[in-house]
Amino acid sequence: MHFKIRAAAKEDCRQISRMIKELAVFEKMSDQVKISHEELERDGFCQNPFFECLVAEVPEQNKSEEGFTLVGYALYFYTYSTWMGRSVYLEDLYVMPEFRGNGIGKGLMSKVAEVGKKKQCVRLQLSVLDWNTPARDFYATKGAQDLTASEGWHFIRFDGQSLDDLVNEAPKD
Amino acid sequence: MASFILRKAEPNDVSDILRLIKELAKFEQMEEKVVLSEKDLLEDGFGDHPFYHCLVAEVPKEQSSEGHTVIAFAMYYFTYDPWIGKLLYLEDFYVMQDFRGLGIGSQILKVLSETAVKTCCSGMHFLVAENNTKSIEFYKRRGAADLSSEEGWRLFEIEKEELLKMT
Repeated sequence: MHFKIRAAAKEDCRQISRMIKELAVFEKMSDQVKISHEELERDGFCQNPFFECLVAEVPEQNKSEEGFTLVGYALYFYTYSTWMGRSVYLEDLYVMPEFRGNGIGKGLMSKVAEVGKKKQCVRLQLSVLDWNTPARDFYATKGAQDLTASEGWHFIRFDGQSLDDLVNEAPKD
Repeated sequence: MASFILRKAEPNDVSDILRLIKELAKFEQMEEKVVLSEKDLLEDGFGDHPFYHCLVAEVPKEQSSEGHTVIAFAMYYFTYDPWIGKLLYLEDFYVMQDFRGLGIGSQILKVLSETAVKTCCSGMHFLVAENNTKSIEFYKRRGAADLSSEEGWRLFEIEKEELLKMT
């Protein structure tokens, strides 16, 4: 199947938002999606964007059942390791189910790695849900190491009420 | 009781920041993994498009430890969650042993959370090693959620050699 991987344009945000929701449904967390294409347009295409995005596009004749030509995306941003410096963090990688098995996921990942290399990044990190075996297997074939397993890292979050509490209250030591 | 100030790091602070980075890495038993130099920190933190932001805590000379007045730091940057938008990501957070229990860590976390709210971030994320029970308790006391336990997220990494194979 013919496909093209390119940098996302502002006009792509509606389709990217659609695919973000599809991925969230798959991750059984669709109720957690709070932003729409408007925030993506604002945050990804301003002077100092908070993320970058690649999209996978198929020709009109191969469009999806519902008529979409954007069939996959990779959303990433730059992070910093105090040990090694510049890094890339792959936040989302998604290919619509009917377009899988055609090398699109691999193509998106390679392109992210290439972008990272150009910016002198020394590593790429991402998070995967423990039950997502296809994804864990895919990343393992690319040489990824599970740092939660090997080094015991846990992912922590403060948001909503707990973030406000941090701002307002004295800690209970 | 130590008196201290919190301020934004300046280019002159890079040697102190590197010193503290190495101390924290030593505590995490990963000292040999620090390959970053002062030059990298300068270029990456104080250029046109910084890769990170840094807060430092400073004590007066008379309270200094071995001549060091910069005794704590927090390094952070902004990340993006496609579900909720901007986030503040706390990369490193460290207070020198002699200066713990004085409220410096709490104050740093408070300033970071204020920054997160001011810059319209939906939350603050970071990683903790599961054997670092003191830190986990510190964060849990303040209402943090452990997403690895609660939602099953696992952190993966692909190192440079493998990345190059993909390009």
